[in-house]
Amino acid sequence: MKRFFNKTLSALRSDAQLRVGVIGLALLFLIVIFGSVIATHDPYFYGPDSLAAPGQNGHLLGTNHMGQDVFSMLVYGVRTSLMVAITASMISGVLGIIIGGAGGYFGGKVDVVISELINVFLLIPTFFLIMLIVSLFGSDIRNVMIVIGLTTWSSNAKLMRAQALSLRERTFVKSAIALGETKLQVLVKYILPNGIFPVVANTTRGMAGAILTEASLSFLGLGDPNVISWGQMIYQGKQYITTAWWITAFSGIAVIITVIIFYMLGDGLNHVLNPKYSQGGK
Amino acid sequence: MENNAYVEIRGLQKFYPHKDGKIFRKPGEEKPLVKAVDGVSLSIQRGEILGVIGESGCGKSTLGRLLVRLEDPTSGDVLIDGVSTAQMLKKDPKHFRRQVQIVFQNPFDTFTPRDTIQKILLRPLKHHNIGKDTEERLEIIRKALEAGGLRPAEDIMSRYPHELSGGQLQRISIIRAMFLNPGFIIADEPVSMLDVSVRAEIINMLLDLARNHNAALVFISHDIALTRYISDNIAVMYLGRIVEYGSADEVIRNPQHPYTRALISNCASVDPFETREEINIEGEPPTPINPGPGCYFAPRCYMATEECFQKYPEPVDLGNGHYAVCSKVNCAACGKCNPSNSNA
Repeated sequence: MKRFFNKTLSALRSDAQLRVGVIGLALLFLIVIFGSVIATHDPYFYGPDSLAAPGQNGHLLGTNHMGQDVFSMLVYGVRTSLMVAITASMISGVLGIIIGGAGGYFGGKVDVVISELINVFLLIPTFFLIMLIVSLFGSDIRNVMIVIGLTTWSSNAKLMRAQALSLRERTFVKSAIALGETKLQVLVKYILPNGIFPVVANTTRGMAGAILTEASLSFLGLGDPNVISWGQMIYQGKQYITTAWWITAFSGIAVIITVIIFYMLGDGLNHVLNPKYSQGGK
Repeated sequence: MENNAYVEIRGLQKFYPHKDGKIFRKPGEEKPLVKAVDGVSLSIQRGEILGVIGESGCGKSTLGRLLVRLEDPTSGDVLIDGVSTAQMLKKDPKHFRRQVQIVFQNPFDTFTPRDTIQKILLRPLKHHNIGKDTEERLEIIRKALEAGGLRPAEDIMSRYPHELSGGQLQRISIIRAMFLNPGFIIADEPVSMLDVSVRAEIINMLLDLARNHNAALVFISHDIALTRYISDNIAVMYLGRIVEYGSADEVIRNPQHPYTRALISNCASVDPFETREEINIEGEPPTPINPGPGCYFAPRCYMATEECFQKYPEPVDLGNGHYAVCSKVNCAACGKCNPSNSNA
C-alpha cells in the first residue's frame, strides 16, 4: 500500500499533464459533492427574472430564458457529465479488455472473429448509430450512457488484443501453463493485469469523448430533458445567443474545461504507465 | 534403445507452416514447412542427465517446449513410465504438469512482474493442493528458499521479481519447479543469461535437486564444455534431428559425425597447449525450411559425397550405445577416426 502511494506520488511529480488532470478531477468531484452548497439557487427553479445578465439580482452568471440560474445549472451539470463519462467509459473499458484480451490470448478462430468484429465497430459511424438508438429507445440518460459505452469499446479492444498477443509469448505466461494453470486462469491472472495499463489510459481519454458525445446529443435535442446537462444548456441558449450570450458561453467553457481535464488525465496516465516514458525503475 | 526407459520420446516432430506469401501453388507443389523438430527419438532413464547440444535455431528449445507440452507436436509422442503423455494430458492435465517441469532460459521474465515472490510461489502450491492451508504452504516456501540459499527467506518473499538478481530468480524458478516433485525436468539453457560467477552454483543446485528426486533431466545448452561436465549422455542436434547420441565422454572425446566434430573443434578449450585441428564448416547457416532429401548437413559437410545428397542416412551403431547418423561413419571397428585421416 505504501509502495503504491509512493509510486503515485513520484508519478504525479514527474508528469505535469497528469498533475493537472488529477487536480482538475479532484476539483470536479468536490463540485459534485458540495454542489448543493456551492450552487446559489435551485437550478430546477424557474425564477421570475428571465435572461438576467451576469451579476444581476444575485445571479452570478445570469439566468436563462426560463429564469433558471446559469451558475447553479453549471454546478449541477458536472454531475451529469461525470456520470456519463465514468459509466460509459467503464462499460467500454470492461468490454474492450475482456473481448480484446480473449481474442489476443486464445488466438485462432476466436481471434479472427473478434478482430473482424472490432474492425466492424471501428468502421461504423458511431455518432449516427448513437443518434439512431437514442431516438428509437428514448433519450433517458441511462440509455445514452449505455449506448456510448457499447459503441466505443472497439479501440480499447484493439489495444488489449495487441497487448495479449505479445504477453502470451512471455516466459511467465509459458511457465504458468507449465505449472498447470488453465487458460482462463492465465488470462485473468497474467494477461489482463499485465496488459491493462494502456487500456486504462485510453479509457480515461475516452471519458472526454463520452462527455462530448453526450453534449452533442443534448445539443441536437436528443438529451434527457429530466437532467441538467451542459449540452442542453447550449441547445436552449442558442436562440438567445445575441441577447443572452452567457447561457451558451459559460456552458461551452465548462464542457471545454472538463474535456481538457480528462484528456490531460488520460495522456498523463499514458505517459506514466507506458514503459517507454518511465525513467529507470518499473 | 532400451524399453524400460523412464521417458521415451518417439519420433517427435514439430512443423510450422512457413509463410512465403504465395496464395496459389502449382498442383502438387508442397506448402513450405519449417521443420523445427523432425523426428526425434530418445530414451532417458530415471536419474539420468541428458545433454542436448547444437547451434542456435537447430530446434533444441522447440524440443524442450514439446516435452513440457507448451506446444503440441505435429506427430510422435512422449511416454513417461510407459504412459503416453498425450493421453495423460487429456485425462488428467494436472497430473502431467506435476510429472514434467521446465526451467526457462530467461529468469528475469519467468515471474509475473506485478506479484511478490510469496504470491508467485503460493500459486502452484495452491493449484496442486500441496500443503493444507496458507500457513503450511508459507512454511514449505520458507524452507525451500532457505535450503536453496536464499536467506533471509522472509525478505525474499516480500520482494518483487525486478528487485532480485538473475541468479536469485533462477534459483526461485528451480525451487518452484521442484515443488511439484517432477520426475522429468527440462532445463532450457538455464544459465546462459546469468553471470558466469553464479553459473556453477545454479548448475549444482539443479543437479542436486534432480539427483535427490531421482529425476530425469534434459539439459539443453549450447555450452559444450558445461554439457559434457554435467551430462551422462549427450545428443547432438542439427536442423531438428539428432545426428549423434552417446555417453558424454564418448561423444566429446570420440565424435563420429562430421557436424559434431566441427562443433567440438570450434569449442574453446581451457588447455592452451592442447592440439586440436580446427574444422571450419562452410556455407550459409541453414534454414529448416523443407530440408533434404539428402543428409541435412551435406551442403556444409567437409566429407560429403554425391550419395549424401540422395538420401538421409541411417543411424550407425558404434557400440556402447553410441550412435551417429552419417553414411560416412563406417569405421566402428577401426576406432581411430579423426577428421585429418578421414579427409584423405
